[in-house]
Amino acid sequence: MNSSVEPTAAKKVNLTVAGQAIQAREGETIIHALWQAGLGHTIQTGCVGGVCGACTVTLRFKDGRRGGTDLACLRPVEEGMEVFPFPVDALASPPPVSDPDEDKLRAAFPTVDRCTKCDSCTVACPMGIPVMDSVLRMQKGQIEAVAEDFTTCIDCGLCRAVCEDKVLPHTMGLWVRRSLGLSLDHPALDQTKERAMSDQVEQEWEHLLNCDDEERLQRAKALRKG
Amino acid sequence: MMDWAKASLEKVERSRAERVDQAPPAISEDEAQALIEEYHPDYVGNERKIHVGPNADADAFPMELADLLESDSPVPQDFQPNADIETDVLILGGGGAGVTAALGLADSGLTVHLATKLRLGDANTVMAEGGIQAALGPSDSTRRHFADSYVGGHGKNDTGLLRILCEEGPAGIRWLTRLGALFDQNEDGSFRFRQGGGTSTPRVLACRDYTGLEIMRVLKNAVMSSATHVLEHHAAVELTDDGQNRVTGAVLWNTQTGKLVTVSARAVILATGGSGQLRLQGYATSNHMGATGDGLILAYRQGCSLVFPGSHQYHPSGSSYPEALVGQLVTESIRSAGAQFLNVNGERFIDEMMVRDVVAAAIIREVREGRGIETPAGRRGVWLDTPLIEQTKGKGTLAGQFPGLIHRFKRYGIDPVTQPLLIYPTLHYQNGGIRIDADCRTEREGLWAAGEVTGGLHGTNRLMGNSLLDIIVFGRRVADGVQQNLPERGAVTLSRLNRYRQELKRLAHRPETTAPQLYPRVSGMTFELKGIPKHEAEADASPGPVKSFEPPDPFASR
Repeated sequence: MNSSVEPTAAKKVNLTVAGQAIQAREGETIIHALWQAGLGHTIQTGCVGGVCGACTVTLRFKDGRRGGTDLACLRPVEEGMEVFPFPVDALASPPPVSDPDEDKLRAAFPTVDRCTKCDSCTVACPMGIPVMDSVLRMQKGQIEAVAEDFTTCIDCGLCRAVCEDKVLPHTMGLWVRRSLGLSLDHPALDQTKERAMSDQVEQEWEHLLNCDDEERLQRAKALRKG
Repeated sequence: MMDWAKASLEKVERSRAERVDQAPPAISEDEAQALIEEYHPDYVGNERKIHVGPNADADAFPMELADLLESDSPVPQDFQPNADIETDVLILGGGGAGVTAALGLADSGLTVHLATKLRLGDANTVMAEGGIQAALGPSDSTRRHFADSYVGGHGKNDTGLLRILCEEGPAGIRWLTRLGALFDQNEDGSFRFRQGGGTSTPRVLACRDYTGLEIMRVLKNAVMSSATHVLEHHAAVELTDDGQNRVTGAVLWNTQTGKLVTVSARAVILATGGSGQLRLQGYATSNHMGATGDGLILAYRQGCSLVFPGSHQYHPSGSSYPEALVGQLVTESIRSAGAQFLNVNGERFIDEMMVRDVVAAAIIREVREGRGIETPAGRRGVWLDTPLIEQTKGKGTLAGQFPGLIHRFKRYGIDPVTQPLLIYPTLHYQNGGIRIDADCRTEREGLWAAGEVTGGLHGTNRLMGNSLLDIIVFGRRVADGVQQNLPERGAVTLSRLNRYRQELKRLAHRPETTAPQLYPRVSGMTFELKGIPKHEAEADASPGPVKSFEPPDPFASR
C-alpha cells in the first residue's frame, strides 16, 4: 500500500449508541463502528448493505442538527451523534387480490383514510420514497403509480412505526405491488410451455447430454453461437 | 470529490469520446484461461487439504474454510439433546431458498418450522441486484440456457441439476409472478430481458437493480401469511442424528437469550446459504452478515461430502470507495447497459461482458501490474465508467434503471451519473457446496439441501441470474422431494458429532476456534451460552422479532 497518501480514515469521532460512548473512525458506518467497539449485538443487523431493513435507528444531536431515523449500516458516524436502536416488527399483510382498485384497497386497509398528512412517513423513509404522497395516491386508487413509488421499498417499517395513525403505508404499498403483479398476463410464459413439448427439444437435449464432458463443452459452445 | 484521483479521472474523461463505439479488447479462450489461472484468487494456492470427514486428504479447501471444518462444535461436551420442539420439517435458513421451500410445503398438511440466524429475509437473496435468468425470450431455449451456463461453469456443472434448472426456469418465473412479483416490462407489457456476462442472448429478468429485494419481499410477505412457524434469531449450531447416520433434527442457539434449543424433525432442509463473510484471503464481500458457511460445517460433520469446496465467485465489481461501501455490489447489468472498465490511464483492458471469473482476474491483473488507482485509505481498484451510459443510452438511464446504485452512492456525495466509480472484485458467491441429487437429497438420509449451500449446479463459475433461479427452482423442488420421502421421527442424538470429535482428536494441529463461525470475524460477535442451563430453558416456538418501539394504535379499540 502506498504510504505517501494520507489516510483520511484516521480521524476519530465520538458518539454514543444506546447510551454507550464509543470512538469511531470518520467515514465508517454506525454498524462498522459498533463492530470495532465490540458492541455488535447492540443493533440488530442483517445485510449490512442497506436493503434488508434490520438496522433501523433513531438519531439525535444535542447541538440542534437534525436527527431522525436511518439505517445504521449506511449512515456514517458523526461527532456528537447519539444513536438509539429502533427495531420495527415485521407485520403480516392481508392477502393480495387480483385487479386491485381503490375499493379493494380500502376493503383490505380501512386505515388508508386515517392519514392526517403530517408527512412523518416520508421524512422517516431511508429510501427517499414519497410515502405520504403515495398514501394520497392510494386513496385515489392510482394503483400503478403506487406500485412504482414502492419499487425501492426495503420493508423496514419505519414509515409505519412513526405513523401516529397507524396507516400502514409500506404494508399497503407492497400489497398494491403484489396485487398488481399477480394480475398481469405474461404470454411469454404460456408460449414456452408449448415450445417445450416437441421431439426436436428432446433431440437437442440428447445431443447435449449423451457425450463425454469435453465433447459436451464443444457442443455447448457451438450451440451458443447458433 | 475524489480529488486524490484527479489526474486519472481526467484521462477517463479525455478517452470517453473515442470509447463510445469502440469494440471491447479481444481475448481468446486460451488467453482467458491463462488469465484466470494467473490472477483469480481460487488459483493462487492459498488452500490446504483437510484431514477429517468425507473429503479428507482429497480436495483443497480455502484456508479459512479448512480451519472451520477442523474446528470443534460450540455445543458443550456434556450437552444432552432433548427435543424442545417437535416438527415434521425443519428448514434452516430464512433466505430465498428456505422461504421458497416453506411456501412449497404450505399446503402439505405438515408442520413446518423455519429457523433463521437473523430475521426472516435478511439474506443474500435480498441483496441480489441484477436479475434472474429463464429461457423465455422468443429466440431463446432451455438448451441455450444450459449451454451458456455450462460454458460459463467451465464444463464442471452437474449436468442433471443444470438441466433441471433450465427446464424448470419458466415455471419458476410463473410461480413468482403468481405470487405477485413484478419484473421490468417493455412498453407492450412483454418481459424486458437483459444481457448477462456469458449469456448468448438477453435472458435476465430484473426489477431495476433491486431484483432480489423484489423477490425476497414477495416471498417473505407470502410466508408470513402461511402456517410456517418462523424462529427468528435462531442459529443452527449442530445437526442431530438417530445413531444410525440419519439426520433427525438440529440444535439451535437463540442469539437473543443465549440458550440452546433442540428441534426434532422428520426432515431437515439446509438452506443456510453462502460464506462470503469468511472473507477469504482478506477480500471484502458483498454478502450479508450471516454468510459464514454454517451449513457446510453442519452437513460435513454428518458425513456429507462437499463439491468444488475451493471454488468461489469474486464478483468483478465490488465498490472500493468510499470506505463505508467497500465490498458492496455494483450490479453486472450496469455493464450490459454499456459501462466500461478502465485502468489508471483511462484505457479499457477487458471485454466487460465476459464471464465473472475472467473479468475479475483481469481487474486484479491491472491493479497488480500498477495500473490501478489507490484510494486515500490505501485500497486499490479500477474505474467503472458509469457516466458513459448517460451518453450512449440517453440522459436519465441510470436513475431509471439503477435507482439503488444512485441512492447508495449519493449518500456519500458520489453521483454515478457524472462520476466514474472505483471498483475491485468482491467475494460474492460460493460456487461449491454440499452434494445433492436431483431431488435435493444429500448423502445423509433425513437431510436435504437447496440454494447456495449446495454445490455442482454452477460448476466452478456461476452466471449472473442463475442464483436467484437456483433458489426458486430448487427451493420448490426440495419441498416436493421431502413430501415424497418423509421418514418417520427418529431419536435425537449427537452420535455423529461425537464421532467427529474423536476424529478431530487425531489431528496434529487443531484450530482454536469453534465452528460454525456464525458471524464475521470483524464484527467481534461470537457464540456464547448465557443464563440457566439448557435443560431448564423454555423453548419458544414463536418468538417473533425483537420488541418494537412503535407507538400504540390510537384507534385500536374502535
